[in-house]
Amino acid sequence: MFLFVDSEAIVTTQTMPLRREFSVEGEHRYDRRGPVRWVLSHMLRYKGFLFSFFIASTVTAALFSAVPALTGRAFNEVLKPAPDARQLLFIGLAMLGIVVVRGGMDIVNAFSIETLAQRTERDARQELYISLLGKSQTFHNRQRVGDIMARASNDVRQLNPMLNPGIALLTDSLMSILMPLIFISFIHVQLLAAPLVFLAIFAVLLRDYTRRLNPVAAEIRGRFGDLNAGLNETISGIEVVKAAAQEAQEKRKFARHARLVRDFYVKEGQVQARYLPILFFGFALTAAFAHGLWLVQQNVIDVGQLVAYMGLMGILRFPTFISIFTFSLVQLGIAGARRILEMLDEETEMDENKAGHSADMRGDIVFDQVSFGFGRTRMLDGITFHIRPGQTVAIVGQTGAGKTTLTKLVNRIYDVNAGRILIDGVDVRDWSMAALRSQISTIEQDVFLFSRSIRENIAFGLGNKATEAAIVQAAKDAQAHDFILSFKDGYDTVIGERGVTLSGGQRQRLAIARALLTDPRILILDDSTSAIDSATEDKIQQAIHRVLEGRTTFLITHRLSMIRRADVILMLDKGRVVDSGTHADLMERNALYQRIFARYF
Amino acid sequence: MGFLMDGIDAEGYDRTYSDRQLLSRIFDYFRPHLLTMAFVATMIVLDSLMSAVLPILIARGLDTIAIDGSWQRAGVLIGAILVSGALAWTFNFFRQWHTARTVGNVVLELREDAFDAVMERDMSFYDEYPTGKVVSRVTSDTQDFANVVTLTLNLISQVLLVAVIFGVLFFINTRLALIAAGIAPVIVLIALGFRRLARHTTQQARRILAEVNAKVQETVSGIGVAKAFRQEATIYHEFDAVNRQSYRTNLRQGFVFSGIFPVLNAVAGIGTALVVYFGGMSVLDGQVTPGDWFLFVESISLFWLPLTGIASFWSQFQLGMSASERVFALIDAEPRVIQLDSQPAGSLHGRIEFRNVTFSYTEQERVLHNFNLIIPAGQTVALVGHTGAGKSSLGKLVARFYEFQEGQILIDDRDIRTFDLTSYRQRLGIVPQSPFLFSGSVADNIRYAKQSADDDEVRAVASKIGGGDWLAVLETGLETDVGEEGRGISMGQRQLVALARVLIQDPAIVVLDEATASVDPLTEAQIQEGLDVVLRERTAIVIAHRLSTIKAADRIIVLRKGEIIEEGDHDALMAQGGHYAELYNTYFRHQSPDYDPVAVGMREAVAATVQTF
Repeated sequence: MFLFVDSEAIVTTQTMPLRREFSVEGEHRYDRRGPVRWVLSHMLRYKGFLFSFFIASTVTAALFSAVPALTGRAFNEVLKPAPDARQLLFIGLAMLGIVVVRGGMDIVNAFSIETLAQRTERDARQELYISLLGKSQTFHNRQRVGDIMARASNDVRQLNPMLNPGIALLTDSLMSILMPLIFISFIHVQLLAAPLVFLAIFAVLLRDYTRRLNPVAAEIRGRFGDLNAGLNETISGIEVVKAAAQEAQEKRKFARHARLVRDFYVKEGQVQARYLPILFFGFALTAAFAHGLWLVQQNVIDVGQLVAYMGLMGILRFPTFISIFTFSLVQLGIAGARRILEMLDEETEMDENKAGHSADMRGDIVFDQVSFGFGRTRMLDGITFHIRPGQTVAIVGQTGAGKTTLTKLVNRIYDVNAGRILIDGVDVRDWSMAALRSQISTIEQDVFLFSRSIRENIAFGLGNKATEAAIVQAAKDAQAHDFILSFKDGYDTVIGERGVTLSGGQRQRLAIARALLTDPRILILDDSTSAIDSATEDKIQQAIHRVLEGRTTFLITHRLSMIRRADVILMLDKGRVVDSGTHADLMERNALYQRIFARYF
Repeated sequence: MGFLMDGIDAEGYDRTYSDRQLLSRIFDYFRPHLLTMAFVATMIVLDSLMSAVLPILIARGLDTIAIDGSWQRAGVLIGAILVSGALAWTFNFFRQWHTARTVGNVVLELREDAFDAVMERDMSFYDEYPTGKVVSRVTSDTQDFANVVTLTLNLISQVLLVAVIFGVLFFINTRLALIAAGIAPVIVLIALGFRRLARHTTQQARRILAEVNAKVQETVSGIGVAKAFRQEATIYHEFDAVNRQSYRTNLRQGFVFSGIFPVLNAVAGIGTALVVYFGGMSVLDGQVTPGDWFLFVESISLFWLPLTGIASFWSQFQLGMSASERVFALIDAEPRVIQLDSQPAGSLHGRIEFRNVTFSYTEQERVLHNFNLIIPAGQTVALVGHTGAGKSSLGKLVARFYEFQEGQILIDDRDIRTFDLTSYRQRLGIVPQSPFLFSGSVADNIRYAKQSADDDEVRAVASKIGGGDWLAVLETGLETDVGEEGRGISMGQRQLVALARVLIQDPAIVVLDEATASVDPLTEAQIQEGLDVVLRERTAIVIAHRLSTIKAADRIIVLRKGEIIEEGDHDALMAQGGHYAELYNTYFRHQSPDYDPVAVGMREAVAATVQTF
């Protein structure tokens, strides 16, 4: 069912220009040329529901308009010199019938749009997810998880209220303008004058109103956010506030924020109170009544028709009130759709290089005058060094010195700007991406584990192919076996929110076991886990020690004893290698290095 | 009102107020705005009258022509319709505007009161209640409180409207009015029934959705790992199943919610049909004029909508009441730290004495019992011990963050309970375990406790910490933005800023809870150098987690279960081979650069082998 599609094949056989690493067979294609088209193409996928929604909405509005028309006829009937009671009964029954049919249609309408809205949300989330899986590792390393989460949850969820009640009410509003107009035109074309003039003025007023309301509403949200964030900060830092005796300062800040919220709240109330369409609706009713009376006097229409006319005018009250609400929902949805599209369209810049060099790695690494930076900021400058297979190199430097960036060049998360990196004598850019990355493993600072059993987490790297024996062996090598068995369910223990909470050291050891199972030749270990007690530290370091054996390893660590024992220590400062050598070398000649150990020797 | 709190939101300081108490306190907040409120009430009455008058005018108009055939009064009626529409809008304008003004002001006052109350609480309060919940009481619950008022106003206007219309209907024709009145409870009942159904499905859906959302979140966060191991298909399967489940749950809930209005509309429609029919018959009997009949048909449509509003009022009103209850409970919570006097602290030397101090956070667990300790001015004391031995409690008591139950704490031989806390804490430097920074620049944070400090002073202080090297690494030096809670700079840099923040106060006493998070070795060296500066010539209580800090202290105090069991310097204590030596082997052994885990492993292996034989 799943295909890992060759990137070239996609370019030639499919309309979408994006390179992808993952796709699902039978995936639906949506129009991604713009947010509105994209939403429409999602809705058009379910033409049946769209059709039934549209028909039901039209019929409901028509039946709503039919009631005043019938009332008018009833009125005429009773005004007759010899009214017919059976006729009146007939009208009453007809109205009852209309009400029942209308109720049914109303439900069809509501359920159709509800289904459409829920499916659109579901499909959009699926589309985004598949697209995310298709993007490169580079993309995911660059993108903040929080950002992706915001799009996958908030923006996708926003599509739902945009359709229902947003588009649903918008359609209903349009229909309950259109249908009364049609019925009125049947009574007499002249009677359209008052409602049409009103609708023209209404459109202008509504635009003006949203222009005045939107900035105020945005201010309220923004200021309320400030209030919340400010208070949150004060309370999170209450120990500092109290310790520094700065309660008065915090109170001033809070009062300032709270007052701004109040000011804009009142402003909003004022703008909302001055909603002019309602005033003009009153004018329109008056004009319509006057116009109708005049036509009755001229004997152009009868009193029953006047009654029907006034009833139909009354239906326009609904769109007059509801419009503001629907517009803002649709606006929010479109904005969300735009953000989702941005992510869907994000390009992957590195290709898979399928035809590239592919061989078993030995782990010999050469950096030759390597420079790298984002935009104008240069992060690494003229880096040159050589590591032999199996060596451990510790990278030492302050935060921001470029330690992590340097390691990301090795497995081509980023490409160098100048110079070159050779692995086993071959430029990394000439390696096949799959061969390169499958033999290099990274254990990151923040270890991500899935909320499932420990066994599945360790085996994750091999899918379902890992044997029980291999999993246990990896766990033993990572010094994780003992603590795993200390849980009641052993390897079946579920971790995460619904299960056991692991300490940083335990998480790190599981990550090590996970990496060990795939047996990489080159390992990048970003190790910032702190152990509070020595026994845990023993285990962590033994695990790391086991991992280093027989692999070329880049080690970014805070552990002095591990730095000491590295084969090579690279001293990094502001993107340059300022010194390198063994512990003994550096203790002898490097002042910065001596400072690290100053308090111990 | 307490029954509405479902236990999840309830806090220890929550209390139950009677409805009368609540309403009278809510009323207190509105008392200064009574005049405006009276004005708003008048506007509501007038607005309701205008809404009811419109159909009456149109009906009279119809009668005028249909029966009398007289056109003279038509002009007057048209004018009246115009005026009534304009007046209705104007009344509503004043009503909404002044409601917003009053509610805005009342919420502001309530928020400031709630904030003051929060600031007065001691640390035990913050230990017990998570930040998010306290914040939501001050910001959201106060808003919900205001909603009680807006809701009540709306209810009044809707009840008025219904009453006026019903009065008119009753006046015209009793029988027709009774038909309408017969339908009314049906509508209210249906609306209530739907609310119950909706609440039930929502509760069910909420439980499932919380789970589903968490899973979606996980599959999204896990993409990076999945790609690293080429496991896209596995994770996609999981995502897909969860996504479908979320769809099904949402759809079921959506159907309930979208069903309510069609049903209500249908019932209201049946009501209208009945009135049209029976009304028509009454006209035939000559009981009702055609105009009145029209009035009936028109008014009846104005009659239905407010009914659904009234049906939903009660539960929303209760939500608002319980929100007010939560806010008042926050305001009324009792502080535990109580000062007996407020003498200015003056410049302190820093001698600290604990005299027979007994202290516990909660009643069950005693932390200190008859505790005695004298720290001479200028001495650095390192406290070591297992978790729960009472190390940080000593620091927090000196900071006067908590109330102790018995004994005395003397600072320069003066009772700590007699100080003015603000002036006392200005002489106190506290470095918490996790260095909290406020959003703003590095300089803003350093001068936090001394707002008067100018840039030169800030720079001078910052340069004393770790030789000032760390400033060069920051993108724009002292002006670097630290980001939300300091996350824009590294953990080590945050610790350095926290040290500078204390140093600028030039405190007589320093309470330092050393950070446990590991920091890159160079920054670590700078922090250690910074500590030397901060602790020099000051009385210091250090809750030590680092070997080098302990070794640098003047005196090591070993605590176990709230008691001092050993004291001295590192070498002497190690030589004793007592509790300190045990602590060293548990917590500090691995911090020595000579530490070799493989050797430890060998020792263990050897020990294990020896045991088996």
